[in-house]
Amino acid sequence: MKIISCIKPVPDPASRLVINESKTWIKDHDLTFVASEADNYALEEALRLKEKHSGEVVVISMGGEEAARVLRSGLAMGADRAIHLLDVKFKGGDEFATAEALAKAIQKDGGADLILTGVQSDDLGTGMTGVMLAEFLGSAHATVIVGVEANPEGKTIRAKRELEGGINETVELPLPALLTIQFGINQPRYASLKGIMAAKKKELKVWGASDLGLADDHVGRAGAMYEVKEVLIPERKSRVEILTGTPEEAVAKLVEKLRKEAKVV
Amino acid sequence: MIYVLTEHKDNKLKPITNELLVFAQRAGREFNQPVTAVVLGNNVGAVADELKSKKIDRVVTAEHQDLAEYSPDAYVSVLSSLLNSEKPFLVIAGHTTQGYDFAPRLAVALRKPLIAGCVDFEKIGDRLILTRQIFNAKMNMKTAARGDGPYLATASPGAFPGDDVESGGSAQIVAHPVQLQGPPRRKVIERAEAQKGQADLTTAPIIISGGRGLKQKENFQIIFELAKAVGGAVGASRPVVDAEWLPREYQIGSSGQTVSPKLYFAIGISGAIQHLVGMQTARCIVAINKDAEAPIFKVAHYGIVDDLFKVVPALTRIFNDLKAGS
Repeated sequence: MKIISCIKPVPDPASRLVINESKTWIKDHDLTFVASEADNYALEEALRLKEKHSGEVVVISMGGEEAARVLRSGLAMGADRAIHLLDVKFKGGDEFATAEALAKAIQKDGGADLILTGVQSDDLGTGMTGVMLAEFLGSAHATVIVGVEANPEGKTIRAKRELEGGINETVELPLPALLTIQFGINQPRYASLKGIMAAKKKELKVWGASDLGLADDHVGRAGAMYEVKEVLIPERKSRVEILTGTPEEAVAKLVEKLRKEAKVV
Repeated sequence: MIYVLTEHKDNKLKPITNELLVFAQRAGREFNQPVTAVVLGNNVGAVADELKSKKIDRVVTAEHQDLAEYSPDAYVSVLSSLLNSEKPFLVIAGHTTQGYDFAPRLAVALRKPLIAGCVDFEKIGDRLILTRQIFNAKMNMKTAARGDGPYLATASPGAFPGDDVESGGSAQIVAHPVQLQGPPRRKVIERAEAQKGQADLTTAPIIISGGRGLKQKENFQIIFELAKAVGGAVGASRPVVDAEWLPREYQIGSSGQTVSPKLYFAIGISGAIQHLVGMQTARCIVAINKDAEAPIFKVAHYGIVDDLFKVVPALTRIFNDLKAGS
């Protein structure tokens, strides 16, 4: 089975994020980038499926040096080869433009039996890119996956979706398929020293927009479907009303407020 | 026109649908646009009637046996044909396991913008500006869709108060003919409770959360008693889960669940940012903590600064008395 695992580089969760001058994104020049957390679960799931069914795992990412970095750690974790989408034209793209470029790259690489992404990224967090990628590829897909059982001979896969209300839904899809992987599906492995050394000898392709045959108005900011008007820290003025008195008096006042003022009970 | 893609289950509207209708009714007023609710399914008469009681202009039903169960293929196929023929200005779905499962595919199929996870909207000039949360709700991002509509948006559960939905319309019910090219590729094999006793917090209207201030596992009993009295679900902050007082599924915050209930009690929780990002969009937040300087009071609407071991049982008694009296 050929499995492609998509990785998005995001600022290390420990970073202090500061909004840039034009208020359209954060100042990302001096930040350390790591793989978005859910993408680690996706890659771990890809590696486990390969160990069980054989085949290869290809990691793909888009961006500058930060993308090369997450690809190298993906190779060190055990992926067989990597595709780096690197082009200044990709800059400013949204989920739509990114999904289209990923689709072209996957097609150029000969397609895949299974494509995995994290359920959502740690930065934009909208969960759109994976599902959009499935539509661009024309593959079946399923989101929020907490369990995978592949049947490569039968060309099908069963996946368990985590729905609201504590319900899990098992679905069956024909391969090729795309799954967006939920946090906690597995325990992602750490790269071993041996893995890190081996990663240096693995293939890493670099493709730009023209390699993918993408028209200029389909990539980066030109290909984005929306523009960012402003990034801001939501106002959080303290609005608290402290209710005083003995515990009995305070809770009586509270319940009165909840019923008459907030109308929530 | 503004379209609402409704969600329903067992012949009833799901709570998210009322939230979407509130978004649509408000946007409809701002942009002077009529509201149409769309129902996909099989035998959806009861749901259409329920929608008819809301203050909207039209209900469109699309019925087919292959729509009895949600599937992204069938939804994208039916909605593409409907939206291509009617070209509404805005199409609203829920940012739910259903909405974010098909809306991105639909956006690509139509080659139209999708803004996912909206928590607010505004009108600037003639343009629709949609706000969504980024970086785990640490920041907001205001976006404007490019090009011509339809614009697709998914609304985060809890962002629009479903209780505010206006009723009293005289909507017409219109059937949209459905043609599907074969059965959906994705088939549902089974649906089952994930785990016994798993806390489902994302849809709970009331959540009672306890933190380190409870001091030990056994003391969590008073949180469960209050939850029972109020009819709420129990949540916890990370330290509680790390100390194994409660299983991981109770955790609210950046590495746990993100919730947006109408009422949230934070009891003995100081309010670290990792917790705040998971609950700060709750409509009403009550903090009970003996430390008046605790950051939780910055996001709370009501606060009691006192010993939680005295306050919580007193609160439970009031709610139990209210129940007995009603």
